[in-house]
Amino acid sequence: METRSQIRARAFVKVWTAFVILVIYLPIICGALAGLSKGRYFGFPIRIFSTEWWGKTFASLEIQSLVQNSLLIAFIVTLVSVVFAFFGALAFARYDWRGRKLFQKAILLPVFFPQPVLGLALLLWFNALGINPSWQTAVVAHLVWIVPVVTLVIAIQVYSFDPTLEEAARDLGASRWFILREVTLPILWPGIWSGALFAFLLSWGNFPLSLYTAGVDSTIPKWLYSKMVAGYSPMVPALGTMSTLSAAVLLLAGGLAITLVRRRRADA
Amino acid sequence: MSLAMISPAPPDTTTKTDDAVFPATAPVLQLVGVRKIFGDFAAVDGINVDIKEGEFVTIVGPSGSGKTTLLRMLAGMESPSEGYITLRGELINDVPANKRPTCLVFQSLALFPHKTVGENIEFPLKVRKMGAAERKARALELMRMVRLPEHYYAKNVMRCSGGEKQRVALARAFAYDPDVLFFDEPLSALDYKLKKALEKELKDLHRESGKTFVYITHSLEEAMVMSDRVGVMSRGRLVQIGTPEEIYTKPATRFVAEFFGEVNSFEVRRDGRDGWILGDGRSIIVAPTDEAIGDTATVIVRPETMRFVTGPSTADNLITGKIYNEYSLGSRMQYQVHSGGRIYLVEAARAAVLGLSSGGSVTIGWDAPDAIVVGG
Repeated sequence: METRSQIRARAFVKVWTAFVILVIYLPIICGALAGLSKGRYFGFPIRIFSTEWWGKTFASLEIQSLVQNSLLIAFIVTLVSVVFAFFGALAFARYDWRGRKLFQKAILLPVFFPQPVLGLALLLWFNALGINPSWQTAVVAHLVWIVPVVTLVIAIQVYSFDPTLEEAARDLGASRWFILREVTLPILWPGIWSGALFAFLLSWGNFPLSLYTAGVDSTIPKWLYSKMVAGYSPMVPALGTMSTLSAAVLLLAGGLAITLVRRRRADA
Repeated sequence: MSLAMISPAPPDTTTKTDDAVFPATAPVLQLVGVRKIFGDFAAVDGINVDIKEGEFVTIVGPSGSGKTTLLRMLAGMESPSEGYITLRGELINDVPANKRPTCLVFQSLALFPHKTVGENIEFPLKVRKMGAAERKARALELMRMVRLPEHYYAKNVMRCSGGEKQRVALARAFAYDPDVLFFDEPLSALDYKLKKALEKELKDLHRESGKTFVYITHSLEEAMVMSDRVGVMSRGRLVQIGTPEEIYTKPATRFVAEFFGEVNSFEVRRDGRDGWILGDGRSIIVAPTDEAIGDTATVIVRPETMRFVTGPSTADNLITGKIYNEYSLGSRMQYQVHSGGRIYLVEAARAAVLGLSSGGSVTIGWDAPDAIVVGG
């Protein structure tokens, strides 16, 4: 039997949660609405709604190439950072070695660099090395910042991994490769999967590093910014909304995949 | 000077290629002067022991005595700093765990949490690239052996109870078909009743399989129930090794005697050929003792051989005192008897049966053959 104060407390929690969600999502909703305006210029309230700019965004060849660039960069960054971060996470959390403490601190540091400074510093380096900035250099720049983040994400999973499992597998005759395939990787899989999601989303949405290091190649966030500064059209909020929605879909799908794997394991 | 120079010579391995010459009684595992040094600390400090084919040997010791390190060297997870380990006459010091025909059942069991019961048991078979159908048949056979119901085959291993997990771990170890099985106190996390039942099952399994078992535990009671031979370890050394009977009746040192639980111990010095006297000058009567024992010794009397002396009965050694405390051990009682500033332990049938009362004056005593004299 609930008392009156318990009912009141629950009602308060519900109202508060709704309020917080509203505050977080309202600006995104405003952005989404702006993309649905028929007018050329940004303004509220919206007089006539239309999907005209969404259509134009889909049809635009320029935007197609932006999406391709962003996808390509995010895809390569995800692949490379997961491989690096997997072994980095093992070094971070699984094995005890000389210099591990230093490594743990050093790997954290790039996460705290202000990204515009990191971007500029990398651009100066590419210049000094005589490398022309392009989407490839942007990949390198993203990696500098994203590999440490993914390493930490996977390391959390590695901390809960019992090393005697590997010892037991070895004792039962398994080779290193067999242990990695049959024991270590499957158990760390949820961590690796979340790390990959993080890598993709962080690269997909990254603006400061791409601004400095992508050269003449543009990405979605870079284009959004440049069109905000000069040459606004409702294609900006439309593309922004599409980008947010696709990130959300990816996140949901990823979350669903992890839940399904967990449930299948628990049900057996 | 290199470490190898002070180690004894490796055992003769020439017989290994010729089975006819190889004697049937040769030990399956042989340890010669095995030491393991971490930094400047010798975790295992010179172990010599032969383990015979099909034997159940248990190494007992308190935590930190080096028993786990010893087992890890036998299983191939550590290599000895000095000395030799041979398996069927072949030197295996540096043979890694996955190349040894031995298998360790871990204290934590180390079952693969993402695999089913069946997949866990089939793991070593999969390593050997056995076909799926054959693997399953073998797994089900092993599950029958360890008394796991057949429908557990597809069950998530993390959903099994503690006792069931033990059985899975055991079946997985047997699936590897090792020559020697090692156990790192796998029963320690179970409740008393289940533990007792599994100890007996393990012993049955040992007899039925005919394999060599090496078990380590800190519980001497567990060791006594299961083993053919018990070795007692302390500070990296094997203090004594023998049958459970020998360890109980003829402990080599005070440490071994006290490892069984509380005992009455008296520090004594020699007085003539077979006489021993206490610090206060009273003499103690014991059976004739080994010459090798020096001028000081410890006389140990177990609480169960100490008894109340009432009515017409008497004993070789007598002490009078007062019953100070009593504890129920179930079928028997343990009494603390206070006398001359000391507490003596007596295990007996209930005092009420003997007509004694708590706080009352009593006489306790023991007979000479029941006292154990150990050096030091």
